[in-house]
Amino acid sequence: MAKPRIKELLSELQQFYVLSFDGLLGVVRKPFYSKDTFEQMDYAGAGSFVIILLVSLFIGMALSLQLSAELSRLGLKMYTGKIVGLSIIREIGPVLTALVFAGRVGSGMASELGSMILGHQVDTLRVFGVDPVKKLVTPRVVSSIIMVPALTVIGDAVSLFGGYFIAVFVSHQSAAVYWTSIRDVFEIENVVAGAVKPFIFGYLIACISCYMGLSTRGGAIGLRQTTTRAVVASFIMIIVSDFMLTRILLYLLGFSV
Amino acid sequence: MIVFDKVGFSYGSRPVLKDVNFSIQADERVAILGESGEGKTTVLKLIMGLQKPDSGRIWIDGEDITDKSEPELRETRLKLSIVFQEGALFDSLNVKENVAFCLREYSRMSEKEIDQKVRELLGRVGMEDAIDLMPEELSGGMHRRVAIVRSLAACEPKMFLYDEPTSGLDPVNAHNICSLILDLSRDGRGFVIVTHKMMDAIKVADRFIFFKNGVVIFDGNEEDLIKTLVPEVLVFMSDLNFDFKSSMDVEKQEG
Repeated sequence: MAKPRIKELLSELQQFYVLSFDGLLGVVRKPFYSKDTFEQMDYAGAGSFVIILLVSLFIGMALSLQLSAELSRLGLKMYTGKIVGLSIIREIGPVLTALVFAGRVGSGMASELGSMILGHQVDTLRVFGVDPVKKLVTPRVVSSIIMVPALTVIGDAVSLFGGYFIAVFVSHQSAAVYWTSIRDVFEIENVVAGAVKPFIFGYLIACISCYMGLSTRGGAIGLRQTTTRAVVASFIMIIVSDFMLTRILLYLLGFSV
Repeated sequence: MIVFDKVGFSYGSRPVLKDVNFSIQADERVAILGESGEGKTTVLKLIMGLQKPDSGRIWIDGEDITDKSEPELRETRLKLSIVFQEGALFDSLNVKENVAFCLREYSRMSEKEIDQKVRELLGRVGMEDAIDLMPEELSGGMHRRVAIVRSLAACEPKMFLYDEPTSGLDPVNAHNICSLILDLSRDGRGFVIVTHKMMDAIKVADRFIFFKNGVVIFDGNEEDLIKTLVPEVLVFMSDLNFDFKSSMDVEKQEG
């Protein structure tokens, strides 16, 4: 009983890797579906913009509030900006944006592709000689790889602004000190550490969501399971890969732990 | 045109087809019948190479397609035209874009030529007015007609495959779709229609293949059908008698 299950799991893993590889390879293979890619970028980027703004703003404010409260007890309130900046740029910003993106865009990708499978639209593409991976997966992979980093930059900026608002207007710290601390955080190591992750997260979210969507079976219940699995798997992969990437980047950028 | 040689297929551990043998000529009008879950749609998918058999060989137009890859299957697929259940129109495209899909993908026609071609094709099924509608704005019958037109725009097929083309349609629309299927076969191009509606099968087909538990239990023409003593086929025939009777009753009342 266990053997067929293991075989099935390995086969699924293999299919996932093949899809992920082909999805990326589609970028350099003709035909190019640029219209589909721009449509996906609009859906993924413009559609997620307001949610990212809201979530980032309140996370930045909450973080600044917590730190101000704790650091003022130790008489170290002037470090609020530095810690807010470091945690937002290197860790919270990329992870938060990726989680929101997976919840909103990844689930949408999975359910859209799933309903295309159930409605035989993917089969129709194959009958017409169109490669579904090139037509459906590549545009989503490209849009995610571009839009997650773009949204992360915007989210980081808004979070820092939220932190500033709390530090200056609630915790009564100096605005100059806050922004100087933030500016000090913008060292190449920190920026690289925060900039690499969103590309990887975007790629992972698109591949997982597309794979789950294209493996949908079993009607409306199957579609519900597909969407749930896509979001859960994306969340887990974001958190796990964040830890691994953090470890690798800290090592490569010369930080001692 | 289509040859199944001892074809076996299963979904996981559930066998759907067991050593199925049949051959269909390009000009034949064939109905594949059976209860739900008997693998009728799977037969169409195997013919189009959308699924691979677990055992046996499948021949299309003299070519063994069993082990062909996706790019190799492209040419074979252009010889056939399939209309999936409920049409399978692309949700995000309107009627014109759906019909023009293959023209835009493969032909070098200008936008004006594409527009002209789409209008001409839609005109054949009386759907010119629906050119700008989205799929969700179409009725079931319109869906099927657009799907049939779209498959015609894709290629000049030697044969048509229809998956439950009348399911979920009212009798008038179902009758219209049957008429359209017959119209398209007037020039000698045959078709395979998968259905569980005996009435529709009788209207359009000359040959009937029944599936039960993954095997062919009946393969014959209308005369064979009337004489058959296969119990499962007789159940379908009793439905037909009921349909005949009820349709006669309706006509009498209207008269």
